[in-house]
Amino acid sequence: MAEKILWANNVSQHFGGLVAVDQVSMELNKGEIVGIIGPNGAGKTTFFNDITGMYDPTEGQVFYRGKDITGKKPYEVTELGITRTFQNIRLFDRMTVIENVMVGVHSRTKANIVDSLFRLKNHKETEKKAHEKALSVLELTGLADFRYNYATSLPYGSQRKLEIARALAAEPEILLLDEPGAGMNEMETSQLIAFIRELRDLGYTILIIEHDMRVIMNICDRIYVLDHGKLIAQGKPSEIQSNPDVIEAYLGKEH
Amino acid sequence: MVENNQNPIDKASQQNLDEAVIKAPIKSKEKPVKRFFTSLLEFWAKHQTAISLAFLAIAILFPILFNQQYFLSIGVNVMLYATLSVSLNLITGFMGITSLSHAAFLGIGAYTAAILSTRLGANFPITFLAGAAMAGLFGLLLGLPSLRIKGRFLAIVTLGFGEIARMVELNWMSLTRGPQGISGIPKVSLFGWIMKTPAQKYYVILVILVLVVLAVAAIMNSRVGRAISAIRDDEVAAEAMGINVFGYKLMVFSISAAFAGLAGAFYAHYMSFIDPNAFSFAQSILILSVTIFGGMASIAGSIFGALTLLALPELLRFLIDYRLIIYGFVLVIMMVFQPNGLLGSFNLKHIKQQAMFRKSQERSES
Repeated sequence: MAEKILWANNVSQHFGGLVAVDQVSMELNKGEIVGIIGPNGAGKTTFFNDITGMYDPTEGQVFYRGKDITGKKPYEVTELGITRTFQNIRLFDRMTVIENVMVGVHSRTKANIVDSLFRLKNHKETEKKAHEKALSVLELTGLADFRYNYATSLPYGSQRKLEIARALAAEPEILLLDEPGAGMNEMETSQLIAFIRELRDLGYTILIIEHDMRVIMNICDRIYVLDHGKLIAQGKPSEIQSNPDVIEAYLGKEH
Repeated sequence: MVENNQNPIDKASQQNLDEAVIKAPIKSKEKPVKRFFTSLLEFWAKHQTAISLAFLAIAILFPILFNQQYFLSIGVNVMLYATLSVSLNLITGFMGITSLSHAAFLGIGAYTAAILSTRLGANFPITFLAGAAMAGLFGLLLGLPSLRIKGRFLAIVTLGFGEIARMVELNWMSLTRGPQGISGIPKVSLFGWIMKTPAQKYYVILVILVLVVLAVAAIMNSRVGRAISAIRDDEVAAEAMGINVFGYKLMVFSISAAFAGLAGAFYAHYMSFIDPNAFSFAQSILILSVTIFGGMASIAGSIFGALTLLALPELLRFLIDYRLIIYGFVLVIMMVFQPNGLLGSFNLKHIKQQAMFRKSQERSES
């Protein structure tokens, strides 16, 4: 029996009169790769924001390992073990690659300002751990050779990878990837597919928003389809491909 | 006839370029001037500690070499503004929050020290600690409601706070004596030893400057410092990475205010007279100018900024009425050609890491 670790219960997000997410329920089991797809403006990223505490859902709850995390602050959600990447790359552009990843280790270290002012043991342990963790993640993602370059000097595909590396440094149980393949070329996309599979083998549970059907159909165990904020279908990739509602949402109705 | 298929380059610079390429074995097409600055920066980055100590030695020797009240008062002024600018840099440069209330925190520290020493007979270290703590407390109180807003809106709120602080100083007659100010503030005394010569006062502010610089450097080279830089670059991503953005902003704002309060306590003891005019909006602007001129997120920049903006007008005194024109001209030229400030467009730590990494790679290749 699969172990359910993340569970959204009838989550809605209203912006004034606009219903961006409408009564969406979903669940995520340990070790799964689950995809969320849907046309532009379907509410996928908004739903991500509801899970990670960026927005406070208008209705519904989000549970992580039996604990209600609805309305928690984003940094608290990260501390609990859910970390995300962003659709539009959000790297720290005046920091080096390794510093970006070391920021990711923030929630797993604890040196405070007094420790650092007086260079106490806590500070040294934190610096050591942050550096080692960042290097190991950079080696995993193949970015170690660029560690002292500025994050924005990397090519586009590597910047996307760096976002994932930074999220991994926070030692999450669940990784939320918001369109990791956006703007990638063929080769970068196939590398990404292999990399996400590798992450699953390393024990991460992954929830992924993606437009590129090649990525989604290749790696996902299950897929949820959103349209106009509503959940219109869910199931295995093969079931989704033949679902008439999904085809209609993407291609329009036949007259 | 087209002699080369590249963009047209005038002959002189082409020649310079050729010479540079021949002289340097490295495959580099940078202009020689630029490369000179690059290697200079690399040298500085590698020997940062030694160079800082050399500057400190010069600062220590200064009162011995120029033991005249006039020079020493310029020195004190430069270091006072360097301290204020380094502390402002912590929030404005490193964290990206523009504050126009630094003079208010300077004033809160100064009034705290002045009132405690004239009414209760307190002196060092109590007046300094109380000045810093009081300014830090007000920083916290101002930050609690206002740090939730951003950018220019926050700048306006801090401006308003600066005016409120000055109005209180001006009108709370029983505490601050209003526009008459507080006079007769005793000199700093260290366990009975009174700092009365200009050189002794100079060393007091030098110690404060060194302490503030060390503290800011220690903060920035730590987990907290990385969080501060992350907040400057992208608040949303910083929060998503587990950083309590508001909490950090509040803490750093308060620390920065406390450093300004410390400088204020020194100012009160140094001047022996304070009145609200010293802590006006213009003062906040001057501190911000030093920070921007010197360079955002650069401690050395703040010090050189203070040295330039406060010593330059004195050096230009022989020009009499024209000196402020020259001074303004320097500011304009600077902002046109180096908009990031004197030392704001590079990070010595990164330069050092990059240079060392390059060297280790070259070694492993050969």
